[in-house]
Amino acid sequence: MKQLVSAPALFVGAGICLIAGLLLAFLYAPVDASSMGFSQKIFFYHVPIAETALVAFGIAFVAAIGYLRTQNPKWDRLGLVCVRLGLLFSLLVMVTGMIWGKAAWGVWWAWEPRLTTFLLVCFLYIAYLVLRSAVEEEQRRATYAAVFAIIAFIDVPITFFATRFLPEGLHPVVITAGGTGMESSMLISFLVSMLGMTLLLVALIRRDLAVEELQDRVADLKHTIGG
Amino acid sequence: MGLRQFMAILRKDLIRELRTREMLISMILFVLLAMVIFHYAFTVKEGADLTYFTGGMLWVTFIFAMLLGLNRSFAQEKDERCLDGLLLCPVDRVIIFLAKTAGNLIFLLIIQVVAVPVFTLFFVERSYVGDLLPFLVVLLLADVGICALGTLLATISMNTRSRDLLLPIIFLPLIVPVLIAATGATTLIFAEGAGFGGLLARVLFLLGFDAVFIVAAYGTYDFAIGE
Repeated sequence: MKQLVSAPALFVGAGICLIAGLLLAFLYAPVDASSMGFSQKIFFYHVPIAETALVAFGIAFVAAIGYLRTQNPKWDRLGLVCVRLGLLFSLLVMVTGMIWGKAAWGVWWAWEPRLTTFLLVCFLYIAYLVLRSAVEEEQRRATYAAVFAIIAFIDVPITFFATRFLPEGLHPVVITAGGTGMESSMLISFLVSMLGMTLLLVALIRRDLAVEELQDRVADLKHTIGG
Repeated sequence: MGLRQFMAILRKDLIRELRTREMLISMILFVLLAMVIFHYAFTVKEGADLTYFTGGMLWVTFIFAMLLGLNRSFAQEKDERCLDGLLLCPVDRVIIFLAKTAGNLIFLLIIQVVAVPVFTLFFVERSYVGDLLPFLVVLLLADVGICALGTLLATISMNTRSRDLLLPIIFLPLIVPVLIAATGATTLIFAEGAGFGGLLARVLFLLGFDAVFIVAAYGTYDFAIGE
């Protein structure tokens, strides 16, 4: 599977899809008919980034289970790489979400369920990295990180659900464009962006994994020669 | 068999605490002090109505108090190397988790027996005697969630380099759902009075949270406590 598509090809594919998605969003998809108007264009990037972030954390969750079952450091590396990338994408979600919020509600920050959940997700996975840095022994670090990654991923949907208990606040209801309400031209533009973002994630995971593997090998070699 | 082991560990924790009372006394003092601090922090003008802050104040206090207790409960085990002895016993790790959780729950309940009446005297203007049963249910369910998740995470953090510094960072983002549901329910009871009907969604949510994290801890505690 590893040699199926080379890493540069994945990056190129991601780049093409992302640029195509951008062009389609502005040139092909119509301006949104609702009150969102032109600012709705950010949807074509914001939502794919958000879904990619969740996919990254999902892979980290699977990797954590894989590690606990096999104790193979390969899974630990995958978990770490996915959490780091997921965190990066989550920060982008927050930034694009805030820009959208400014355009849609006139404020940079609103305690809206999705935005709030992503804020907590950021804190959760920063805590994951802090936890890793607090354990020196490799096997123990990997085990604790795996346990925490499992708990954290379970907590994400629960948090999102809980934020629904909060009072709704002043801002208008957020678009629920995903699913049924999308025109086909919008859907196509969205899917192209989505594909591009997913390819980008896969490409980044593969590159980061290779870097992590090399780092581990260097550490092993250093250890062998007593450095 | 399991029950006897459970009772033995629980009894050990209770006896140790009741002999020194270190943890309980500091937790109770912390909770009472927090209320006084809240009073000064929130009373911005004459006769300001704090009713809608009461649930939040109560749960923030309990969660922070529990952080103190959780750090203590494992610091002793670790410093005196009691945990090594405990792990050498032929006891299922999950029994240790359940007993530790039950111990922490009992301590939290003892704190609350003192703190809730004082809190009511200080801050709650409406009588909520009619809602006492729903209140107790919410209290117990939220406590179970806090203690189960807290015990699991304290087990992890005690084995890391930064121990008591790490626990809040990994515990607080995960406990937010409980905070949201418990705060909402408690505020409703204190401010408006709501029977089980009005609280049903939150009570079920807390019940679900407890169930999910007890199962998650059940599956991962072996790894969290180490060999």
